[in-house]
Amino acid sequence: MSTSSVKQWIVAQREQRTLQDWIQDLGPFVMLFGLVIIFSLTTDRFATQANLLDNVAKNAVTLLLVALAGTFPILQQSIDLSVESVVLLTGVVTVVLIAEFGLGLLAIPIAIGVGMLAGLFNGLVFTKLKVPSFLVTLGTLSVMAGVGKIITGGSTITFRNNSIRAIANGEILGIPNLVLWGLLIYVATIILAFRTKFGRYCFALGENERVVELSGAKVDRYKIYPFVLSGLLCGIAGVLLTLRISSASPNIGSGLLLPSIAAIVMGGTALTGGVGGPHRTILGVLVIAVLNNGMNLLSIDSFVQEIILGLVVVAAVALSIDRDKIDIVK
Amino acid sequence: MSSEIYTDTPDAAADSAADDASSFRVEGISKSFRHVQALDDVSLEANRGEVIGLVGENGAGKSTLLNILTGVLEADDGQLYVDGEPVTFTNPREAANYGVSLVHQEQDVITTLRGYENLYLAREKERLGVLQKEEMRKNAQAFVDDLGINIDVNDHVRNYSFNERQMLEIAKAFHVSQKSDNPVILLDEPTAGLEENGRKLLFDLVNDLRDRATFVFVSHELDEVLDISDRIYVLKDGERVDMTHVEDATTDSLQQSMVGRETADEYYRVPDQRREPQLGEVAMEVDAVVHDDMIGPVSFSLREGEIFGIVGVEGSGKQRLGRLLAGDLKMIDGSITIDGADLVNPSVSDMVDAGVGYIPKDRKSEGLLLYQSVLVNTSLAMIRDMNGNMPVLDLDAEQESTASAIEELAIKTPGPNALVHGLSGGNQQKVVIARWLAQDTPILVMDNVTRGIDVGAKEEVYRLCRELTQQGVSIVFIGDELPEVIGMSNRIAVMADGQFIGEPFDASPGDKPTEEELIQEMV
Repeated sequence: MSTSSVKQWIVAQREQRTLQDWIQDLGPFVMLFGLVIIFSLTTDRFATQANLLDNVAKNAVTLLLVALAGTFPILQQSIDLSVESVVLLTGVVTVVLIAEFGLGLLAIPIAIGVGMLAGLFNGLVFTKLKVPSFLVTLGTLSVMAGVGKIITGGSTITFRNNSIRAIANGEILGIPNLVLWGLLIYVATIILAFRTKFGRYCFALGENERVVELSGAKVDRYKIYPFVLSGLLCGIAGVLLTLRISSASPNIGSGLLLPSIAAIVMGGTALTGGVGGPHRTILGVLVIAVLNNGMNLLSIDSFVQEIILGLVVVAAVALSIDRDKIDIVK
Repeated sequence: MSSEIYTDTPDAAADSAADDASSFRVEGISKSFRHVQALDDVSLEANRGEVIGLVGENGAGKSTLLNILTGVLEADDGQLYVDGEPVTFTNPREAANYGVSLVHQEQDVITTLRGYENLYLAREKERLGVLQKEEMRKNAQAFVDDLGINIDVNDHVRNYSFNERQMLEIAKAFHVSQKSDNPVILLDEPTAGLEENGRKLLFDLVNDLRDRATFVFVSHELDEVLDISDRIYVLKDGERVDMTHVEDATTDSLQQSMVGRETADEYYRVPDQRREPQLGEVAMEVDAVVHDDMIGPVSFSLREGEIFGIVGVEGSGKQRLGRLLAGDLKMIDGSITIDGADLVNPSVSDMVDAGVGYIPKDRKSEGLLLYQSVLVNTSLAMIRDMNGNMPVLDLDAEQESTASAIEELAIKTPGPNALVHGLSGGNQQKVVIARWLAQDTPILVMDNVTRGIDVGAKEEVYRLCRELTQQGVSIVFIGDELPEVIGMSNRIAVMADGQFIGEPFDASPGDKPTEEELIQEMV
C-alpha cells in the first residue's frame, strides 16, 4: 500500500468505526437518559428539584467518591477492594475524634490521613512484597472493617456539633454542600488524570508496565500513588458520610464496593486497565443512583431491585465495552 | 469429530488432476478493504516439491494473501485450486483438511502444555471422553522423528528454545494436513526471531522436507529467500509485480521490484559514516561489567558519534548485555562511566538520567503502549523531567515535541492523537526512537532496531542513525542481521558465552569485515 492508500485506509477505518464508537461512548448516557425518561413518566416525584437534589444527588455523592477512588487503581490494572472498609474506618475515626476527644475540625484531616495511610499500606504490600493488589486489598477489606467495628464497640456512636455538621449539610445557592464537595473532587480527579504525570503513568502502567519501566520511570512509586489517592478519597467519603448523619454505625460504608466497581466499569474504565478515566465514572454512578431512587419511588420490592440493578449493570457494560481491543475475556 | 471432517478430503479429485503438476494454484485473487485494494488480480502457483518465495514491503498484501489462502479471509474475486480442484475455504480448519496450513510469525504454541499436547491441540485422541495420552505421546514422537525434527514431545513447550517451538509448529502444520498427500505449508516470516544457527536448522529442515510438502516462504530477508526458494513472487501495492526463478534473481533485483527503485551499496549510507578524526570524545566507558556467571565481564568504550556493533549467536548474551547497559539487568560488578560519573549497579531510571535510552528487540511487548496515542508514546520518557520536579504535565511541550518528531522522523500517522496500534511496524519503531530523541538522549542502545520492518522503513532508520551520529549521538547497535551490523557500525564486537571475543573488529568505510570473518568468531 502506498502512503496515500494507507491514509485512505485509516480514514476509512475511522469512518467505519464511528457508529460503533458512538454506541460505546454514549452507552452509559443512553442508559441514564432512558432511566430518567422512564421514571419521569412513571412517577410524579422523580423529576422534582427536591428529589433530584436531596435524594438522587446527595445519595450519589458517597458512591461517586468511592467509585472515583477505585478508578485509579483499576486504570493501572490493579484493583482496590478495601474501599468500603476505609470509608468505615475513617468515618468511625471522625466521630470518635469529635465526640470523645473533642478535636473538632481537626478530626477531619486526621481521619483523611488515616485513609491515606491505609492506602499507603495497600500500595507498599502490593509493590514491595509483590502480593497481587486483589489479594492485599481483599485482606485489608476485612482487617480495616474489623478495626473500625472494634472502635465503635459494636454500636452506633454519635456526636453533637452543628458547625461541623454544616460542612456536609449546609447549602450554597440552593445546592447542598455535599453535592458541591462531590463535584469539586470530581473535577480534581479529572485534572489529576489528564494534567499530571501521575495520571499519565496510571494509563501507561495499565497498558504495559514493561514499557513504562524501560522509559526510566520510577514504576513502584507510581504504582503506590493510586492506592494512596484511593485512601484519600475514601477518607473524604467517610468524613462526609458521618458528618451528614452525625454518627457512625458499625455498618457504614458496607455494600459500596460492588456498586462502585459496577459504576467504574459502566463508565468505561476497563478492568484490564489503560482506558477510561474518572470523567466517565460519574455516568455509572448516576445510572445506579437514578435507578435506586426511581425504583424506590415506584415502591419496587427491594429484592426485585437487586435483580434489576444487576441486569442493568451487565447491559450497560455490554453496550460500552470496546470489543475490538479484547481478544479473550476472562 | 476429526475423522468426520477428513472424510471430504478430495482423493478422487486429486486423481483426476494427476496431470496437473501444480499442487496449489490461485488465480486472479482480488481483495479490497473498503476503499483500499489490498490485492489486485494476483495469481500464484506452487508445484509439488517446490519452495516458493513471497516477498514485498509491509502493506504489499502478503498477509492478506496468506489469510485468504488459509481461509481466514474470503477473496472478493478469484479462485483457489488444490491439486487442480477448485476449492473454497471459509476457515483455517477447512484449509488444513486440504493440506494448506500456516506457520505463524508470532509463535502459536501454548507454552504451558507439552509438545505432543500442542501437536494434537483441538484434535486430541480420546476414547469415551478420556484422553489417550500415551498413544498421542508415542505417535507424536514417531511423527516428529519421521520428519527429522529433534524435539522431545513429552517436554513442556515452555522448556523449548525459540527454535524448537518453531520446529514444533512446522510439525503441527504437517500433522494437521496428514490426510493430504501433498501438504502446502505457508511460513510467515519464520526467521524473524531466529539467530544464525536457528536459521540454519530451519533451512535444513525445509530442504529435507521439500519432497514431502510444498512450502511458501514469506520473509523480509531477501538473501534468505534467495537461499531457500526455487521461484520468487514479488508483491507491491497488492499487485504481483514479478515472478522470477531464483537463478535469475539477486537481492538488488528483488529489492528493485519491491520498492520500485534502485538500491545499491548506498543502502547503509556508509559514506555518511563518521571516520576516525571526526569521532568525538568517549561518551560511555563500560568497565568490566558483570551481570552473573553467564554475562561479563565486558569492557568497551563508546565514542561520540560512533556506532558500536555487537553480534553473536543466540545465547551469546548480546541481548542481555543490552539490557545490562540499559540498567534493566542487575550489575553485580564493574561500572559504567558517563560524563565523569561512575554508575555502579544502575537502575533503568539512573541510566536514563545519565543519558542512555534503550530500544528493545520486541517493540510490541516492551517498546510501545499500543493503545495509547503517538503523543503519549513519544513523550513517555520526557515527562520524567517535565516542569522540573513538579507533578504537572506541560501539554504544550508534549504537543510541540510530538509534532516535530512526526515531521523529522517522517512518521506516517493521521495525527499526534492516533493510536500507535494502527501504524505500520516501521512507523511504530520510529515512535520508539522518537521517545528518546524528544529528550535529546545522547546514547542509544538498540537491539535489532529494524526487526520486522520493511525495506523502505529500514532505509529510513539507517538514514536516521547516520544523522544522529552526525549530531554526536552514540549508538550501541546489537543485531542478528550481520550485513546490517557490518554496514552500520564503526567497530564490531563479537560476543560468545557472555564475553567479547578478542578485540572489536574495525569496520571503517572501505575496511569492513566480511560476514564470514564474524561468523568464524561467533561459533
